[in-house]
Amino acid sequence: MLEAVVSGLVTFFLAPAAIALGRRLGITGVDVHKPWKPVVPKTGGLAIALGAVAGMLTGAYISGIRVFVPIILSCLIAAAIGFIEDLREEINPRLKPLLLVFASLPILAFEAYYPRPLIPFLGRARLYKVYPMLIMASYPIVCNAVNSVDVLNGSALLTSIPFFIMSAAIFYLRGDYHLLLLSLIFLAAAAAMLPYNMYPAKTFIGNSGSLFLGAGMTSIAVVGSIEVAAIIALIPQIMNEMYVLFSIRGIRSAKGVGKRPVVLEDGALTASREPDAPITLLRMICAGIKVDERRAVYAMALISAFAALLGFLTNLLLGG
Amino acid sequence: MSLSRNVLAIIVLMLIIWASLLLVSYVVAITILYTLEFPGDTLISIARVILGLLIAGAWVLGWYKLTRLWLYKILLSRKREI
Repeated sequence: MLEAVVSGLVTFFLAPAAIALGRRLGITGVDVHKPWKPVVPKTGGLAIALGAVAGMLTGAYISGIRVFVPIILSCLIAAAIGFIEDLREEINPRLKPLLLVFASLPILAFEAYYPRPLIPFLGRARLYKVYPMLIMASYPIVCNAVNSVDVLNGSALLTSIPFFIMSAAIFYLRGDYHLLLLSLIFLAAAAAMLPYNMYPAKTFIGNSGSLFLGAGMTSIAVVGSIEVAAIIALIPQIMNEMYVLFSIRGIRSAKGVGKRPVVLEDGALTASREPDAPITLLRMICAGIKVDERRAVYAMALISAFAALLGFLTNLLLGG
Repeated sequence: MSLSRNVLAIIVLMLIIWASLLLVSYVVAITILYTLEFPGDTLISIARVILGLLIAGAWVLGWYKLTRLWLYKILLSRKREI
């Protein structure tokens, strides 16, 4: 448990420094869902990354949990790509998924996976050749999916926390202490950032934070062999990303799309009624009603919690 | 109440996706993944992969169409409430 405590404390106490760094370097973004349009640093993800890495390093070098080493490297690669995007405003949307494939390489190099995923109605499949390719594809998909729900104050964190609770519960029931710790490390880092990222946000977690969390989730799914449960728990994020890709017809920058999925009316969010506006989870939540930003985030969290519960139940049914 | 109704509608949609995902993951496993892992006769292998891709593609497209229907015919069809 020391590892999770370290992760939470380092994240919490580093956050003010990360915020100050963001202001000093001008790594900021406009909070477009508030009428007064505040400029907010988007460096909170650095504190999450450093906090979780501190927790994992504690696990790797004090408790001797060597499997944490490739996970640290994977997550740091994803966070670095995210930080570059935060600095440059945007990375070419076609190049970004290719870059995120690099986050899978430490897991592959250290062979920190078990190529026998649990498939519904089939049991454990033997995928010795295909599984590494699936790992390479999974990092860009999950990282971008987590990134796509980072649209409101606290939304990426509150939709990620149910995943970590689900994986912790699965590993606890399985009696896998190391992977339980890994889930708790990420859970602690995400929870420790909440006071800074919830409405009204003092900092955004930025691409560095969302890609770091996405890489963490993918690593947990792959190393812990809970692939199907993870996909189900991530349905809200994955469907959000898929809808956006379909709506804007391919992999291109959503910033270039003129129509917004939600609009601000009297300080509240409401779904666009334009037929060609991108479909997103938030647009569905706000469809036909005006919703306060905080309530919209709680609704996203509730949907994610339900998905995580489905993932947990599926894993139980599959005998994982 | 309206927000709860929207969330409930999304959860129902998610349940449909979940149930169909379990089926599709099985189909993909026995067609595409099996063939890539244990390639046998070339023609049969190609046919299995194409069948798997068609089913998976149809499922993704169906998912998107269902979501559009959900958004425009169910969620956005109601009169705007405050």
